[in-house]
Amino acid sequence: MKERVTYILSRVLELVITLLIVSLLTFAAFSIIPGDTASVLLGINASPAQLEALREKLGLNDPLWYRYLSWLKGAFTGDLGDSTAFGKPVAELIVSRLPVTFGLSFLSLILVLVISYPSAVISSGKPGKFWDQFFSVIGHVSFAIPPFVLSLISILVTSKIFGYFGVGKYVEPSKDFFGYVYCLLLPAFCVAVPKIAMAFKFLRASILTEKNNDYVRTSKSRGLSNIKIMFRHILPNSNVSAITALSIILSDLLGGSLIVEQVFNLPGLGRLLLQAIGRRDFPLISGIVFYLAAMMVIVYFLADILMNLCDPRLRKNGGNI
Amino acid sequence: MPKKKISPYYIVGGAFLAVIIIACILSLLGVGPSPLKTNSADKLLPPSASHLMGTDNMGRDLFARVLSASKYTLLISVAGVSVALVLGTIAGMLAGYFGGIWDRIIMLLGNSIMCFPGILLALMAVAVWGPSLFNVIWALGLVFAPTFARVYRTEVIKIKERDYILNAKILGVKPLRIIAVHIFPNAFTQIIPAVVIGLANMTLSESAMSYIGLGVQPPKASYGKILSDAQSYISTAPWLIIFPSLMLVIYILGLYFISEGIRGDR
Amino acid sequence: MIYADYILEVKDLSLDFKSEGDKILNNISFNIRKGEILGLIGNSGCGKSMTALSILGLLPKDARILSGQVVFDKNDLLEKTDRQMREVRGKDIGMIFQEPYTALDPLKTVYKNLEEVLTEHEDLTREVRREMIGKMLERVGFENTGDIMKRYPHELSGGQRQRVLIAGACLLKPKLMIADEPTSSLDTVTSMSILELIKSLCAELRMSVLFISHDLSIVGNFCDRVLVMKKGNIVDSGNAFDLLYNPQNPYTAELLSNSRLDPKQLDLEFNKPSFSSECALKVTDLCAGYTSGNGFRKERKEIIHNLSFKILKGEVVGLIGSSGCGKTTLTRAICGLIRPYSGTVTDTKGKLGVVFQDPIMCLNPAHTVMWHLAEPLRANKIKMSKDELKKAAVDALVSVGLDENILGRHPSQLSGGQRQRVAIAMCLMLNPSLIIADEPLSALDTSSGARILKLLSQINKERGTSILLISHNLRVVRAATTYVLVMDNGNIVEDGPTKNVLSHPKTEVTKKLLLAETTLHMNPDRQQFMTE
Repeated sequence: MKERVTYILSRVLELVITLLIVSLLTFAAFSIIPGDTASVLLGINASPAQLEALREKLGLNDPLWYRYLSWLKGAFTGDLGDSTAFGKPVAELIVSRLPVTFGLSFLSLILVLVISYPSAVISSGKPGKFWDQFFSVIGHVSFAIPPFVLSLISILVTSKIFGYFGVGKYVEPSKDFFGYVYCLLLPAFCVAVPKIAMAFKFLRASILTEKNNDYVRTSKSRGLSNIKIMFRHILPNSNVSAITALSIILSDLLGGSLIVEQVFNLPGLGRLLLQAIGRRDFPLISGIVFYLAAMMVIVYFLADILMNLCDPRLRKNGGNI
Repeated sequence: MPKKKISPYYIVGGAFLAVIIIACILSLLGVGPSPLKTNSADKLLPPSASHLMGTDNMGRDLFARVLSASKYTLLISVAGVSVALVLGTIAGMLAGYFGGIWDRIIMLLGNSIMCFPGILLALMAVAVWGPSLFNVIWALGLVFAPTFARVYRTEVIKIKERDYILNAKILGVKPLRIIAVHIFPNAFTQIIPAVVIGLANMTLSESAMSYIGLGVQPPKASYGKILSDAQSYISTAPWLIIFPSLMLVIYILGLYFISEGIRGDR
Repeated sequence: MIYADYILEVKDLSLDFKSEGDKILNNISFNIRKGEILGLIGNSGCGKSMTALSILGLLPKDARILSGQVVFDKNDLLEKTDRQMREVRGKDIGMIFQEPYTALDPLKTVYKNLEEVLTEHEDLTREVRREMIGKMLERVGFENTGDIMKRYPHELSGGQRQRVLIAGACLLKPKLMIADEPTSSLDTVTSMSILELIKSLCAELRMSVLFISHDLSIVGNFCDRVLVMKKGNIVDSGNAFDLLYNPQNPYTAELLSNSRLDPKQLDLEFNKPSFSSECALKVTDLCAGYTSGNGFRKERKEIIHNLSFKILKGEVVGLIGSSGCGKTTLTRAICGLIRPYSGTVTDTKGKLGVVFQDPIMCLNPAHTVMWHLAEPLRANKIKMSKDELKKAAVDALVSVGLDENILGRHPSQLSGGQRQRVAIAMCLMLNPSLIIADEPLSALDTSSGARILKLLSQINKERGTSILLISHNLRVVRAATTYVLVMDNGNIVEDGPTKNVLSHPKTEVTKKLLLAETTLHMNPDRQQFMTE
């Protein structure tokens, strides 16, 4: 019990430190802009009075550490000030775009799980045989297609063959939930394809490794069938290592969603970010970047705790295998 | 000794890479029409003998543009991976070999960088510092460094407990020499597949950045930029999508096959 | 109690691999009576494990059976379908394996690991299953079974895990148990208790046992009958006692002398140190251990407590003790790999060579033999011309019995014994005053092990180098050392000339080690010790 408490405490401490480093990286990027921020924002034609007013408004006259602390306070209380481009609070803008980006990432994660697990189990059943070769070849090719290229190709194909596939028509989940899922389905698939291949490859390798383990031989000598051994021993064991891999895949899916939104014209965080970058809206950029990164920090933290719950060996060693 | 069969992965992967490298050489030699020359009379022409891959909305020859793009793709992926490899090697070796507080600090920093999903950190860097070839390279290099550092760290931790390292310590070999001469060669052979995959991922990231307009800047051509320009003409001029996509996929697939080949040899 | 009728008859069994030409098993025939313990002995690669796997139908996919019958309880197992075989496995035939560390599912408790035997073959309620498992765990020697059932495999020691596996194999009271090298990765004391357990279970459950091992001397007290295998053939068979004390077959005799390590047969000779000579190593009041920490706080775990001893120049000293007694920590402290908490070790830098246990990892795979031989000189800043260097390297290779044409090879092109020799040659490059050999034999098969031991004795004789030989194997120490230190719990509990200590042990620790060893190996010294 004492081990468990120290473990959780040390992980929480690590979580806090990671969040601080992430915030520092985000803040630093915007504080070490070459040249004067105010003149960058207002352009070369601005008068000295205008520049001074903006500096005052952005707090650029305060010392760096003070600005960081007040920014950090804002970040953790959800108040990052107003966007310079849209004139609305940063938090409000971000929340309004969440359903698209999160819906897209979540849907593609489901696709990854639903497709990669069964194919990896079938493939590793008889390595080198037909189905293994079949899935592996598809895996190789789909790994190499960038999501935005796949999106373009699927737009090309669907527009030629089926006419239209909800492209560019985003439906709010509050109005029509099935319409919402439907319009995100194709983009989610495009985001997911390379990651399905990645998850498949990882799971296949890890199942094959587990299969050679001695405990599988023990169970065989006790008369268990291969299917039972797969579900009772091999899959639970490979799941432990899959948790980390899947959390990294989730991060990639989120990153992929930001780009694919742009191809399908979906009003998500990715588009908001690009608009903000285009209009040099620094409070908004830093808000989006920090919150997305902070979310992944928490996802990794949860994955770590989950792994610890699944694998008794980790509990003893304080989280290190 | 029986002659070892060369894995088909090497043959296919090598052939794919050869396509890109030849394209790059052709572009450097200045073969064919200029990728920048616009011609309002030849807008959106389908592929033909005079324009092998057709022309774009400004009448530029797509074949020439694709050749030129392969040059920048190759440059960015190799330069970016080199930056990442140098940073990752140093960080991973130090963290793995010395352990303790060094390990903690380096890994916390690396993990923090890896918490930015996808290319978000690189996007932010480019947003602030401005999109240029140089900025794209170092930003992506920084984003990819922790991956290499992790691989190195795991390898070094594994290797440093082996008897030959203990023996070297007993013989009185200095720590830096142990890292450089005893550990590095063994760790490096393990990291080669990660480097090849890194090249592929770097290309994926660069093309995505160029696609949303924050990577390679015009007038320089890149696959991502060509594709984003072509999107408006997707139904009228599909060749503008198909050829650059094909080249991009060929390059990534080639790298991927090579890494599979290396893995298979082990 | 051995009955007249057979439980298992293997007739003319032949087996090969699709990818390789040679037969793995060549028309072998043998049988096991009810209640009998049959030993199957041979060096690695002789086909003994394949024999066991073909009985259970668990052969690798690549293997195919060419001919033969495996008659178990009047049925030919080779003709059964996979489904029928699954009913036999675990219920009628139980099996335990060599590596108890990985043979249990690490994510499941002991109870869950064992329960699958019952759920697979019987239709029982949870309470009955729990009771059966509890009883069986108690039978294999656990006291608080309720607690053991809740533990995870990594919380058990190697011996405990092997007991759990035995419990699993015996849960349904099988007619035959196959034990594939069940003690090879355990230390002597644990091995003995495991063998005793198997033997008593065999009598109690009226079970037959097929016992597979590479060590012929181990089976004497344990098996009723022994078969000796060589390259897929059974070359010798007979009553265990006859085979051990009066081997007729030359191959059996060779295996026996290798595993017994008889100094007279091996022709080991040693330098006789005079007592006035100076020390090669002196350890005074040493305290050492490991400091673990997570960056926030440091925890000291002291393993060696106030330990002192010395090794004279030219002396061969043995260090014995069961696993976990602190041998490894002591070696590391002597070598300067860990800093002692207190106490002193004489400065050994540049005067010390170490030979490690694992021949696979003792050389750096990235470099050639020549590089390895030059590295000790470079590290100690000894400058030599290229020709001198080459000459010194060749000399070192010749003195370990290797040929100079391997200079350009990489470790992957050498055999285990050769690598071990190169490692010794590396030590010789500096002409050290002391060589520490840390279990140098345990990863080699008995014949290459015996040769390494001979080489060490030669080095001692010719160069006057002191040797500290660390081993858990008493036979090695008895054969090759003149002085012995017995270690327990981080301290030296007994020391003296090897002959005296091993024939008149004073402490409990030494007595326990000796008893385990003699029961295990039926050494000729046994009578002498038993009559004390």
